[in-house]
Amino acid sequence: MALGPKGRPQRIRDPLHDLIEFDTGRFEQMLWQVIQSPPFQRLRRVRQLGFSEYVYPGATHTRFGHSLGVFFNARRLMRNVRRHLGRDSFDEYRSDAALAAALLHDVGHGPFSHSFEAIGKSLNLKYAKHEDVSDEIIRNTEVAEILNGYIPGMAAQVADIIGAKTPADVYSSVVSSQFDADRLDYMQRDRMMTGTQHSEIDLTWLIANLELDAVPFGVEEERVGEVETFVLSSKAIYAAETYVVGLFQLYPTVYFHKATRSAEKVFFHLFERVFRLTQEGQADLVGLSKANPVIAFAESPDSLQNALRLDDSVIWGSLAELTESKDGIIAQLAAMLRERRLPKSIDLRTAVSKELGEGVPTELVDKAVLLSRNALDEWCDDQGAEVPPIWVDTTQRVPYKEFQEDIGPLNQILIRHNGGLVDLKEVSPIVKSISPFKLDRAYIPFEDESAGTRIREVVIEKAKEAKGE
Amino acid sequence: MTKRTGGDMEELVRIVSAADGEIVGRTRLQKTAFLLELAGLGSGYEFKYKHYGPFSEELASAVDLAPLLFDFREDQRRSGWGGTYSVFTSSAAYEGAEEDAYKQLVSLAKRANPIALELAATAAYLASVGDDDPWGETERRKPEKAAGGKLEQAKALYKKFKELQLPEALPDI
Repeated sequence: MALGPKGRPQRIRDPLHDLIEFDTGRFEQMLWQVIQSPPFQRLRRVRQLGFSEYVYPGATHTRFGHSLGVFFNARRLMRNVRRHLGRDSFDEYRSDAALAAALLHDVGHGPFSHSFEAIGKSLNLKYAKHEDVSDEIIRNTEVAEILNGYIPGMAAQVADIIGAKTPADVYSSVVSSQFDADRLDYMQRDRMMTGTQHSEIDLTWLIANLELDAVPFGVEEERVGEVETFVLSSKAIYAAETYVVGLFQLYPTVYFHKATRSAEKVFFHLFERVFRLTQEGQADLVGLSKANPVIAFAESPDSLQNALRLDDSVIWGSLAELTESKDGIIAQLAAMLRERRLPKSIDLRTAVSKELGEGVPTELVDKAVLLSRNALDEWCDDQGAEVPPIWVDTTQRVPYKEFQEDIGPLNQILIRHNGGLVDLKEVSPIVKSISPFKLDRAYIPFEDESAGTRIREVVIEKAKEAKGE
Repeated sequence: MTKRTGGDMEELVRIVSAADGEIVGRTRLQKTAFLLELAGLGSGYEFKYKHYGPFSEELASAVDLAPLLFDFREDQRRSGWGGTYSVFTSSAAYEGAEEDAYKQLVSLAKRANPIALELAATAAYLASVGDDDPWGETERRKPEKAAGGKLEQAKALYKKFKELQLPEALPDI
């Protein structure tokens, strides 16, 4: 797709960043075309926080707005890179590719991302994982034509950056690092739209103190070389501390809220069943028309076009029909989701801790929780029910996320201190003291006394087992 | 929504015990588990491409949980270049035959240079997902690690893995 030398300047009003402007240069005009493309416009119909709206009614913002915000932040960060590297060393092509990657990083998200991906995993659906869908959209749809029309090969470069298939450098740090444009947008946007008043950060000060430095990296004892990445000046220690603590606190309060996770579980079991019955040739039981994108996707999950027809509006729009399903479980789960009749949770960690008594080491609690979870899973399997009578939910959040292999510059927050660079943990006792937030809950979806009894029995039994009694 | 079962964690203990009780580095553990999987000796971990090459989320989770239930320990060490890496230990006895394919593969991975192992596992992964030029693509994705003769070292290492009698042949690359 050829682009003229100049286009019209474009502006979008954003609740977080105010005015997001696109200039008349070829690059930003090209991005404007990407934004107009159907795969990108689809993001208007995918909420950023899925079911969080059931807890925070204001949290109806979309991945469309978030993606624009990530681009805005990335451009801001890239200006820092340009300033530090100087005009002669700054690589315009890599910068453009990273900025386009920032804009497109979420383009493959399906409805209720996390839960939809879990269904995909359970049923082995090719296009349920957002990374795979993003990759395909960027390489093989109209988005690719627009990117390659700007510079041939740009689509592959952008897809490679998002898939971490390029060498780590300062340009890719804008898209993926501890201070990437994504995190800096979502934590502020989610805070604003949920209405929660904690987790405020001093972004202006953080960015003003963001510098570049060459930092050694390696594998085990072997040093490989140096990678240029973001580091913070010593004046930003407290701003960085607030950033880490603020981001961390959003997990228990927003992302891992028990009602949100409960709705996700209902969604998972509902649509896993819808897809499964359809794939088993029982679509007539489900209650949706053949033209419904959910049925089309279930029947041909290897079609990208079918995956792209799914979004939150399709899911919400299908619920009324699903409540009339001939399959009793589908009808029941659809009604629960539609009317926000969500299963209540039992906090296994609290229950186990109570059983173990005060002052026991964390490892003992962890062990009793793990034993309880495994026992409940086994019990559920033994029941042979169509939908498990207990839904166990477990996850955790550590203060620094990502790059789960050996620790180096890309998964640290490096601060200038006494003439060297140290990880934030070494100069912030607050950050150092943060323990992972661990979530272990059991939900009882349907009225079932035996399930509640079983949970109580398991907790008592496994607390004893953990203590060696 | 993934279930973490005891079986996932037992596999970790098996790898470390096959490595005579110690294996160094999360990256090495991941790549070893990946090669076992590719050779038809694994326990079903699913691997995707990440920054360091093939990576399994399930295995990473199992690493965090295994010390709670099994004879499996993770300690952190500081490297000379400023990073941190893990050392995994277990005193559990290896339950297979002394020189079976599993133990031979793990022993070879244990002794390998960590960068060469990462490159070899990455090339094998790329081949397994249909890449036409796995070594070329590995070099393109990891230029610093492939430099200084490391790619050749990785190719030589991979040849040694190929020489093992494995239930499923590793890709020809």
